[in-house]
Amino acid sequence: MPAPIPFDPQEIADAKYIKRPVREGVTTKRALCATCDIACSVVTESKNGRVVKVRSSDNPIFRDHICMKGIVAPKGFANPNRILHPLKRVGERGSGKWEQVSWEDAMADIGSRLKKVIADHGPEAWAVSTSQWNTSTDHGLGRRLMNHVGSPNWISGVALCAGNTAAVNRFTYGWFPFGDFSGTKCIVLMGHNPRRHSWTPLYNNIRAAQRRGAKLIVMDPRRSSSAERADIWLPLKVGSDAAMLLGWLKVIIDEELYDKEFVAKWTVGFEDLRKRVDEYPLDRVAKLTGCDPGMIAEAARIYATSGPSIIPWTPITDMQRNSTSGIRLQSILRSICGYLDMPGGELLQGYNPDIINESEIEMHSALSEEQKAKQLGSQDHPAFTYRGQAAFREPTKRVYGQEYANLVMGCHMATPSATFRAMAGEGQYPVKAFFFLGNNPLMSYANMPMILKGMMNQDLIVAHEQFMTPSAQLADYILPADSWLERPWLHDMFGWMSTVRFSEKSMEPPGTCKSTFEFWKLMAGALDQPEVVPWDTIEDFYDYRVARTGKTFEKLISETEVHFTKPAFRKYEKTGFATPSGKVELKSSVLGDLGFDPLPYFREDPPKDEAYPLSLFTGVREDGFFQTGHRHIPEMRARHPEPEIFLNEKTARESGVSEGDWVVVENQLGRMKAKLAIKDAMPDDLVRVPHGWWKPEMRQGNGHLSGLHDFSDSQLCRDDDDFLDREQGIPHIKGVPCRVVKLTPEMSDAAYTGTSDTGTADTLAKTAAPALEPAE
Amino acid sequence: MTPEEKKLRSKERTARIMIWMATRSSRNKSLIDKLCRRMITRATHVNPEDDFMRDPFVDNDEGYDPDELDRYQRGETA
Repeated sequence: MPAPIPFDPQEIADAKYIKRPVREGVTTKRALCATCDIACSVVTESKNGRVVKVRSSDNPIFRDHICMKGIVAPKGFANPNRILHPLKRVGERGSGKWEQVSWEDAMADIGSRLKKVIADHGPEAWAVSTSQWNTSTDHGLGRRLMNHVGSPNWISGVALCAGNTAAVNRFTYGWFPFGDFSGTKCIVLMGHNPRRHSWTPLYNNIRAAQRRGAKLIVMDPRRSSSAERADIWLPLKVGSDAAMLLGWLKVIIDEELYDKEFVAKWTVGFEDLRKRVDEYPLDRVAKLTGCDPGMIAEAARIYATSGPSIIPWTPITDMQRNSTSGIRLQSILRSICGYLDMPGGELLQGYNPDIINESEIEMHSALSEEQKAKQLGSQDHPAFTYRGQAAFREPTKRVYGQEYANLVMGCHMATPSATFRAMAGEGQYPVKAFFFLGNNPLMSYANMPMILKGMMNQDLIVAHEQFMTPSAQLADYILPADSWLERPWLHDMFGWMSTVRFSEKSMEPPGTCKSTFEFWKLMAGALDQPEVVPWDTIEDFYDYRVARTGKTFEKLISETEVHFTKPAFRKYEKTGFATPSGKVELKSSVLGDLGFDPLPYFREDPPKDEAYPLSLFTGVREDGFFQTGHRHIPEMRARHPEPEIFLNEKTARESGVSEGDWVVVENQLGRMKAKLAIKDAMPDDLVRVPHGWWKPEMRQGNGHLSGLHDFSDSQLCRDDDDFLDREQGIPHIKGVPCRVVKLTPEMSDAAYTGTSDTGTADTLAKTAAPALEPAE
Repeated sequence: MTPEEKKLRSKERTARIMIWMATRSSRNKSLIDKLCRRMITRATHVNPEDDFMRDPFVDNDEGYDPDELDRYQRGETA
């Protein structure tokens, strides 16, 4: 059993590492945890055919890469309400009534209904939402099948988390770098706060770098735990990342702290950039960010002169009105300070040449230009769509050997908001079939009311899932998904890094749960295109992918859990950068050609509505949960039984609420309820809203959706023009106007929330199981 | 070659040696592999009192009993 909870910091400080012997009768496997998107190398221990323990790797290079979510995984996947067989909806959509069917019957019916949608509305009427970190064995096969069928409408949560960052980084230097934590001398965290149990390897790397003497600069409105350890903490106004970085550039350029030789030889647009940056003197930046100009300047100087420095990827800048400019400014800073592809700097690794990468598997060339042009959102917000990334095909071929590089899956997506509008009948054409895999779309994107409307307007919804999520409750079919304990995995780091890692299968999947690989193989067969996924088993597929190593997957995985490429630096000196000019484009020719400002800028907040005097940010979650998952695990719910918002004492007093109150957070789009926790680390007028809350124990079915209407933050995330990044069309969720009021009895009745039960951690054991109708 | 380029290539050689060692250490089969693992283990060792990764949830975890998981899966326990 896991340690008793809760624990306190002193307990952590006193803990001593004790090496425990391997227990008798236990089989160990080397695996990659897919509980979150980090993919920690772990060891599973199995007894009597089932995994009973997950612990950190024995390999010292992956030392201590384990968190509480990984530790409780054996229990999480043993949950009595896990979906073990295909379920077919009976009755109205969202009625909560299901019939158990076979995979054969399910796939035959799904295939026939999808073919009808395609015949009636065109292949673009089929949309898919997924991410590949938790489904793992998708490997781009979904895109491959969609590309052969003719649909460009693939969406993913990576549209506002890492995938979009990868796509926007390409505008500057053609690839998405990864920071060399092991050699860096300065780390800049932009709102990101990795902890012992949240993005554990990043936390480990940052702490290790600090121990070696690296400096830490943290920008965060909150006094986060990272901020408390930082050399400089800039408590900037929420959502003002781009303004802050324009201020940094102003200091670095004015004081000539940049790498003049690199700028002269390898960049274009420096003088234009200088003129743009001159529009942001420090007093203006201080007003926009709320930070002291002296501190801003000092941080910029440390970044530019202590290097090599890194600005690791952050999900915070990804989710802002100025996301494109913010990400571009990060990439410009990396470039002009000379940190690109340097030891201790920002590595541009490229693909591992020994492995067939997922971008190749996706076969984007199979999708016609005519269908690519129909990709939803590409006209108004093209940055990460086929249209926005088309200019990189030739340069990417020149530098990386292939036309399409779908880095972190984020470089050829439809935009989510446009897709949901099309599903709701408000787009440029109808979308009538919607599949989601390992994904809870109602809660994973902005504007939940529109997503709900879109889902209720579908002819066919298919979910590949482990549990009865709110989104799955609206499906026509729920197909049971395997877990990371129950499958092998070849992880190519989504093209971000060249290292490839392997995961052994630790146990058999329960019931008739199948992998995403098997799902897409069956789907290809159901659409009469079995040749698109020709491999019989996942192992055959992996043999194909690793054939260039001269070994089979089985041989490779028996030898090691990691396959490296030989390190090399400043590779661009031989190949140039994968941009149209071959140089670092400080002024982006691609953005200019797409009709956008080719230089970074800062778009200020729209005028404030006095009815909503506070600002909220969301996207954060508690250590025991990842995204919308894990609320069904008793040990994790015991730590966080209820969703909590954070306010400081002053803001709480002004809002008329107190510690422990149930409150409502509301804005022009919607509302959610949560308990209030007072945190002195929060600045005035800022509300921290937890991401992804629903309660598996609450009533299922449309109108209820297991507490979605009560607790989901997606009800507050706007996607109207003032709250969308112009270039990408992703929502601004770091600084949304709102107010906080005390929850009254009238508010908490069924009429307000659409629910009649509340659900608590105590009732978790009685989690509602799917209501099965007798099979006909 | 400029002094800066020389320094860069030297760092590149060092990085290659480290990756070679990490590869051997990950394989951990032959005597050289095991030696590499030992060297990396020593190089990354941190005294427990300085070790920011120590954590009771992790350190005290003893895993689950398979029967306990079976009972939980059947809905007999919480």
